[in-house]
Amino acid sequence: MESYFDWTSKLFDRSLVFDKPEALRGIRVLELTTLVLGPTTADFLGEVGAEVIKVELPPGGDTMRYVTPEATFWKNAALGFFPENHSKHHIGIDLHTEAGKDLFRQLAVRSDILVENFRAGTLDRWGIGYRRLSQANPRLIYVADSGFGQWGPFSQGRASYDAVAQTVSGMIGITGFPGRPPILCGIFIGDWFGGLMAATAALVALHHRTKTGEGQFIDLAQSEGLIRSLDWTWIRHGLTGEDREAAGNHDEALVPAGLFACRDGFAAVAAPRDAEFQGLCTAMGEPGLATNPHFATLQARQQPAHARALSERIGRWTASMACAEIEALAEEHGFAAAPVVNAEDRYTDEHLRARGTVWKYEDPLYGPMVEHGPAPKLSATPGRIRWSAKPIGWHNTEILVRLLGLSPARIRDLEAQKVIGRWAERPGAKPPDDWSPP
Amino acid sequence: MSGPESPWPEYARALTDPARAPEKPEALGDLRVLDCSQGNFAALFCSSILAEFGAEVIRVEPPEGDVARLFSPRGVLHRGTGLAYLVEARNKRHITLNLDIAQGRSLFARLARHMDVIIESARPGQMDARGIGYRQLSEENPGLIYAAFSARGQFGPRASTPIPDYDTTDQALSGVPYTTGEPEGEGPPESSVPTKQGNWVAWYVGGGWGAFAVMAAVVWRWASGRGQFIDCAPPEGEMRFSDYDVHWYHTQRRVRERVGALNVCVFPYTLIKAKDSYSFIAGFSDINWAGLTNIIGRRDLAERYPTTKMRIQNAKALHAELETWAADFTSQEILEKVQDYLVNKRGPGTVATARLNRPADTLAEPHWWERGVFQKVEDPDYGELLLQAPPWKMSHTPPRIKWACRPVGADNEAVYLKYLGLGRERLRALRAEEVL
Repeated sequence: MESYFDWTSKLFDRSLVFDKPEALRGIRVLELTTLVLGPTTADFLGEVGAEVIKVELPPGGDTMRYVTPEATFWKNAALGFFPENHSKHHIGIDLHTEAGKDLFRQLAVRSDILVENFRAGTLDRWGIGYRRLSQANPRLIYVADSGFGQWGPFSQGRASYDAVAQTVSGMIGITGFPGRPPILCGIFIGDWFGGLMAATAALVALHHRTKTGEGQFIDLAQSEGLIRSLDWTWIRHGLTGEDREAAGNHDEALVPAGLFACRDGFAAVAAPRDAEFQGLCTAMGEPGLATNPHFATLQARQQPAHARALSERIGRWTASMACAEIEALAEEHGFAAAPVVNAEDRYTDEHLRARGTVWKYEDPLYGPMVEHGPAPKLSATPGRIRWSAKPIGWHNTEILVRLLGLSPARIRDLEAQKVIGRWAERPGAKPPDDWSPP
Repeated sequence: MSGPESPWPEYARALTDPARAPEKPEALGDLRVLDCSQGNFAALFCSSILAEFGAEVIRVEPPEGDVARLFSPRGVLHRGTGLAYLVEARNKRHITLNLDIAQGRSLFARLARHMDVIIESARPGQMDARGIGYRQLSEENPGLIYAAFSARGQFGPRASTPIPDYDTTDQALSGVPYTTGEPEGEGPPESSVPTKQGNWVAWYVGGGWGAFAVMAAVVWRWASGRGQFIDCAPPEGEMRFSDYDVHWYHTQRRVRERVGALNVCVFPYTLIKAKDSYSFIAGFSDINWAGLTNIIGRRDLAERYPTTKMRIQNAKALHAELETWAADFTSQEILEKVQDYLVNKRGPGTVATARLNRPADTLAEPHWWERGVFQKVEDPDYGELLLQAPPWKMSHTPPRIKWACRPVGADNEAVYLKYLGLGRERLRALRAEEVL
């Protein structure tokens, strides 16, 4: 029989991705969102094959078009806009106009999934919310993303961002070092995780629709997504009344596991299973630790005083080692270790390139692009990136003619009435300077 | 349509209140899932999601129980099981099976014929070497969806590494801790370092991706009749969330570094010290900055720092200005000031703020209880447990918690009888032979 890794390298061969089918072939997603939570919801569905139509209000569009590191634009685009907007069709519609709402309804009756992240009730007030659209299209799966949900005391009139979710969920409260000022997660974790939860529920709803023909309404609050992810925080409070504190870089349940300074950077080390811990002790040259009653069993190691003592000893050991040496010893002795990597490390990592986790492609407007590709690898229906995010209204004609069948005269009309529109002439919104209309 | 429409929140609540979930059907009632992962909460969260939506999830544990049952702070066990496991065992049946011996593997292969989804977390290649990997099981069951969790994935130059999958190492590999924490020199050296999230964020993200991929595969199976192999590496799941990090390096060869409670792209989007606690506060677009400076009575700041670029360049000084203002107010008062401005439309712009919650603060807020975010579950085996509920409110097929956990092997009789027709006598013999 072929060796396992020869077999998997063929099964997941990256060069065949575009020769394989897409899981969500034939599914259309209509997106009316800004920032990160809503766009990721649609983006993840697009990665596995849905056709995504992103509606923005011209000429400014999505706020994320202006979020870019050090406020420096690249080819007139915000870098913050790319990672959650792949392979989408961009259309600009002014939804404050009746004709704009009509266009939106026409798109919604041709769609399977709608994603929006306006404040609760806004689209209902505009006459393009679930109440209206589900009458016109009972098969519609309507995903409403928000900070605090569609109902409940906090749901009305309170603005939210990713970091609000981090703050109210307790996530910040259990992160970082005791006695130091609180820190934000380096990424928009509440948005991304919420988007993943919302996209997953949309797929579950699709499964239900295949069986019954009925669409449904999904209310996803990003704060509630993060609350769900706080593992044993809540159950312990329920059983013991203890309020979880921040524990720095050490894991209180997996012992030992933490981030440690080493000679040339930082590394994670984890060895909670007894056999792994014995391997770590051998690697550290302290095999006796593995039989010390304070450390011999996981339950003994989980006692805070023992865990602290152990962390200190591991830290003393790692300080004299290079990250790569620790990793090599982990492979040899059967525990877990990994370097704390940065963007450059990932960008240059051959393994991640081979897996399509770092994905290079050529975009017609922006040229060579490198981004993170789809996270899970599906053997029969692999996810893929087709093109990069585009300026507002980039696909107006494409969608209005090819999907809705509007005549050129009608489109000119709608443009003149400012019902549909394109990008503003400013960085973040407009195409690169060297672009000229075809 | 007749009569006046109810206000949106009332309508939305009537549509999705999880208190009414028991009256409604479950979306995944037709799916059978076998989760034989060990010591892996990415895999466990993946099967939890499927179980919350109604799939029949069967946990396969070794006879002594999954080591995940021991991953608990301070070694706390509740009726023999650790706290983390009691959170991610919801709605799952629990059987034992010894995969180290041939008879156990043969029973596993027989069970797999009846399954739609298999979830595992073994070292890549280990299940295959034992004759119970996707390659073998899919021959008998071509519709099988097989999700494997590992730190480096099932293919690629480093896939064969024996290094096990843990949240801490996953977080490190994702690149997120590198950009999280106080910059060097801003505080004591031991805490001005790359910082991990307190919760098992990489495991939860990885598990979420696993469930997403399984559902995509389920949708495709309707069209094709075929299953597939899903390779899910939690670090890659969290990496996918790393904003524009790789883009910045690609376009400008810049590496994002730690900025504590600031943000590289905008200001303010930050935490500030208030009289009693901390508050998050954001008003970073020009108009929202105008709103915030109105609220704090410092229009001069809007005039002096009118652009995002100027605000980022002066972020530390502006942060100090915000903290000077906030020193006189509690976080709650700051929230009230912001809400007064927004609700009464006292000026342009939208400002977002929130009090920094300890978990106990969150538990004390009625909002979450009203929405069913927390639930006191009366479990037949484990008693009353406070659990975080599924995060979705859905109109037609809401997720739900039916029970919290089962003791090791508690469903052996029911499951082996249902799928393999094995009666009590046979099970006794298998137990004696250490197969179960």
